[in-house]
Amino acid sequence: MTDALSFPDPTQLAIPFFVAAILIEFTWIALKHRGGRYETRDAVTSLIMGAGSVASGLVLGFIAYGFFMFLWSLTPLDLGTSLPVIALCFVLDDLRYYWVHRFGHRIRWVWASHVNHHSSQHYNLTTALRQTWTGTFTFKMVVSAPLILLGFHPALVLFCGGLNLIYQFWIHTEAIDRLPRWFEAVMNTPSHHRVHHGRNARYLDCNYAGVFIIWDKMFGTFVPEQASEKVDYGLVHNIGTFNPLRVAFHEWLSIWRDVTRPGLSLQQRLAYAFAPPGYSHDGSRDTSDRIKAKHLVRHPEDRGTPGFKGAADAGARGSVQQTL
Amino acid sequence: MSLEILLILVVGGIAGIALLLHLTGQSARRLLTPEAARADWLRHFPDDAVIDVTVARDGHAALLRTETGPGLLWSFGADTVGRHLLDFDLIDHPKGFRIIFHDFTAPQVTLHLTEEERPHWKRLISPHD
Repeated sequence: MTDALSFPDPTQLAIPFFVAAILIEFTWIALKHRGGRYETRDAVTSLIMGAGSVASGLVLGFIAYGFFMFLWSLTPLDLGTSLPVIALCFVLDDLRYYWVHRFGHRIRWVWASHVNHHSSQHYNLTTALRQTWTGTFTFKMVVSAPLILLGFHPALVLFCGGLNLIYQFWIHTEAIDRLPRWFEAVMNTPSHHRVHHGRNARYLDCNYAGVFIIWDKMFGTFVPEQASEKVDYGLVHNIGTFNPLRVAFHEWLSIWRDVTRPGLSLQQRLAYAFAPPGYSHDGSRDTSDRIKAKHLVRHPEDRGTPGFKGAADAGARGSVQQTL
Repeated sequence: MSLEILLILVVGGIAGIALLLHLTGQSARRLLTPEAARADWLRHFPDDAVIDVTVARDGHAALLRTETGPGLLWSFGADTVGRHLLDFDLIDHPKGFRIIFHDFTAPQVTLHLTEEERPHWKRLISPHD
């Protein structure tokens, strides 16, 4: 079994490309007067979050890598590093990404790490770099365990994860409208990912894909961009700070405050940490299901249209009708 | 990639992009009209019913009376952020008022108000004082 295997860190190597692409996108927008917008402090915050994420990886990366190497010592399987194995690893790692990302939106503990990526009201290439500093604390590396145990070397899994992130960089743009139909059918694209960043009720909790949009289609979370409804970027409750420390840690602090409130049962405390974002023990906040249900009360004509088709909507509708 | 080169790329890249954006006018704050303030409030709080809107003369903040109580909307770069006025401190400031929200995600806002605007805004923000 190969222990000493090294792949380059593609994310670090891509930094010059990231800077160049941002300059090209900004120039395009400035010349064409369409295709997105930039704001100085928003962009700087996103870039600092990106730099902090790389730094966090350098400082805390050993935890995930140590976990992976422990798993690697347990498995009798070693698939090697042939090109077909790398390709298979890339595809399976993208499936891993889909589920990590879905957990990131449906479990508040993981959302606390991921929320900063959605905290900009802009959507441009700098938004792609607004990455977490606290991913290690979500224990999301556990989702990669099956890949290691199946015989994919930890260095290969991390390499594929880096390539996945690089692919996702270019889809954070409004400068590209729609791509050829075959490409939109299989791949994650700017159009699909714009929807994912929407705070519109219709666009909440969908399009979790990294590279291949087929996972959303397989697992019922795909919502196509609607020409009739422009994507409104940001959070349901937008933050009012450009301070990177507040951006990085605000939801963790909020979880702490909720979990340590006096007078809650153990079940309620656990729900504040691990239930979907928007959970509250007294119904004073809205989960995405409830936001969708409230929207349907205001706009019944949207019922059954993309983004409002799920069984969860039907269930939540009842609870909203009781509370409204 | 060595750490030194990585640092130069990151710091240089951020500084260069920040300078470019600022020099090309991308630091301008959003200007509000009553209609824009009302639309933006409903964008942030779609369940609210807005009764009336008062926009500051500098166009960077608006007070909204809603059926659930007063709210403050302010320019946040090219966009806006809003908060209901529920848990906050109002502090006099040479340029108007400073509002300290007890909210980690929106710690404070400085309202730039003329001498004429201040008493009216104070009454709207803290009607019981």
